[in-house]
Amino acid sequence: MTTQQQPDDAVIKTRDLHKHYVMGAETVKALNGVDVQIRRNEYVSIMGPSGSGKSTLMNLIGCLDSPTSGEYILNGQPVQDLDDDELARIRNREIGFVFQTFNLLPRATALHNVELPLIYAGVGSKDRQRRAALSLERVGLGDRMDHRPNELSGGQRQRVAIARALVNDPSIVLADEPTGNLDSSTSDEIMQVFESLHAAGQTIIMVTHEFDIAAHSQRVITLVDGKISSHDAEIPSFAAHTERPF
Amino acid sequence: MRFWEGIRLALQQIWAQKLKSFFSLVGVIIGITFLIAVITIVEGMNTYVREDFAGSLFGVNTFSVVRRAQINTGSIDQAERRRTARNPDLLLRDVAVVEEAAPTAKYVAYSADRGFPEVRYGSNSRRNIRVIGGSEDYQAVQGWEVEEGRGLTAIDEQRALKVAVIGAQIAERLFPTNSPLEKRIRVGGQRFRVIGVLERQGGFIGNVRDASILIPFSTFNATLSRRRNGVDEIHVKVETESQMEPTMASVEGALRRDRGLRPTEENDFHLQTSNDLLSAWNTINAILLAAIPGLVSVSLVVGGIVIMNIMLLSVSDRTREIGLRKSLGAKRRDILFQFLTEASTLSIVGSVLGIGIGLGLAALVDRFSPLPATVSLPWLLLAIVLGMGVGVSSGIYPAYRASKLDPIEALRSE
Repeated sequence: MTTQQQPDDAVIKTRDLHKHYVMGAETVKALNGVDVQIRRNEYVSIMGPSGSGKSTLMNLIGCLDSPTSGEYILNGQPVQDLDDDELARIRNREIGFVFQTFNLLPRATALHNVELPLIYAGVGSKDRQRRAALSLERVGLGDRMDHRPNELSGGQRQRVAIARALVNDPSIVLADEPTGNLDSSTSDEIMQVFESLHAAGQTIIMVTHEFDIAAHSQRVITLVDGKISSHDAEIPSFAAHTERPF
Repeated sequence: MRFWEGIRLALQQIWAQKLKSFFSLVGVIIGITFLIAVITIVEGMNTYVREDFAGSLFGVNTFSVVRRAQINTGSIDQAERRRTARNPDLLLRDVAVVEEAAPTAKYVAYSADRGFPEVRYGSNSRRNIRVIGGSEDYQAVQGWEVEEGRGLTAIDEQRALKVAVIGAQIAERLFPTNSPLEKRIRVGGQRFRVIGVLERQGGFIGNVRDASILIPFSTFNATLSRRRNGVDEIHVKVETESQMEPTMASVEGALRRDRGLRPTEENDFHLQTSNDLLSAWNTINAILLAAIPGLVSVSLVVGGIVIMNIMLLSVSDRTREIGLRKSLGAKRRDILFQFLTEASTLSIVGSVLGIGIGLGLAALVDRFSPLPATVSLPWLLLAIVLGMGVGVSSGIYPAYRASKLDPIEALRSE
């Protein structure tokens, strides 16, 4: 059953992924057999109504959680059975998170915020600052390194967060509603950042419930009731030509 | 690397909430302040007793024969006390026995003394003084130097002249503006001509010398003594420390023979050295040093509980931050370490403040009271280590809680 033809450059490959939560006497099947493949340098959106399991899937893909059963191979490495600390190491090296609420340390400078993943990777202070600075320059904030989050606009804050996600050169950038707290023009600004990252070869996975945001991606995976309903629906033309595809 | 990061972060937190941090550190600060202030003073007294007091009271390489032990070292029990109460008084003839038994001694001196309620000169007076009738070599044995005028001589002794060498405090009180020399002071119904002033001893127990009046033994014996030919102390000073023991043994044997004691009978006199005083002091010292940890640990435990609460609060305030750090790759031990470092830094800052305040208090006490103070590095290090220990032990539980947080839950928290 493993002879199914799969592209060699898959960075994410899940097979029959289940995640069950026991709530009292009831077992909630948040994910009920999910098979997903995402190739290197793909730009994918995950969509679905609330309760569909898209947050659960994102947590599993982000190695924040382990599946109840099934297989998850991230960048060639099976990660479904790893313990907390091993998962932390994988998150540190393979995944760059971008959150809806930015999640920057309020008292730290932009530079220091971007340095954080490198601290946990054990990178020395000089090297850390150099790489963090490079990463900030990549998102156009080379001149804001010493600013604290409260001295930055919402869009700038999210760009700091993106710089932080990129600094460890991860296999995937995992963005959870990255524009949820931003107005539409700032959202466009952030989407342009993602597009330029994608153009530079970055794999991006974005969880969103906004169609016009999802339209920026190459394809949309839709979840309903813990299963993938729209399997590998490619919509590149929408992203290129339409403001509101649906 | 992460170590400095942790300390930097902790200092940042402390600085961001200065007032809250200060209050959370009050327990530790009080504990350490108390520790340092008391230790500094105890150590000061230690140094003083060992180096100044014992030496100046007994002199170097000196022992005394007395009727019974004067210093309660705590090792003398009630039975011993009752037994020695029947010891015969020392008399001048005992001095002759001692002199004969210690032919190699540098000096054999003897003295008798008596306390008086006051000494007067004109309308000036000094209360609670002691008149010591000392033999010719008494000053030499005690190492008492004269600051002004002269000391007692053989002629003073032979002629039983009514002359006096007075302590510095007495000179100060009776003669605030003029020279005491050749003035006649009145004590115990007798008049004495002041011929000298003793060098000030000063310090905590300095009034032993500074509030004394030294007159010739013969004069004392003829005028102020309660017992004819009574002697309170016979002092023997030997040339070197190695002569102490044989000379003491010889004196002990001679006195026992003279008094006809059987081998089974105990001495009915006491040989006293500066060791008696030191061991008495060591007993007091040991009690003090044993009591301090108890008192200090109470305030440190309280301080630790406060810090633990602050840290728990900090963990719940920063749940989201912990979630973020975990999502960025912080392992459990990274989070554990971060909060432990924070708690330790917090309490070390408390210790350092406590040390500062404690040293300040000790310096004030040293300056404005007769108690001396000595700073001792090992105790300062102990204070730091204690502070760190409090930090680590009170930080363990909150740090453990933080490290166990589920990153998903933590990120979701407000």
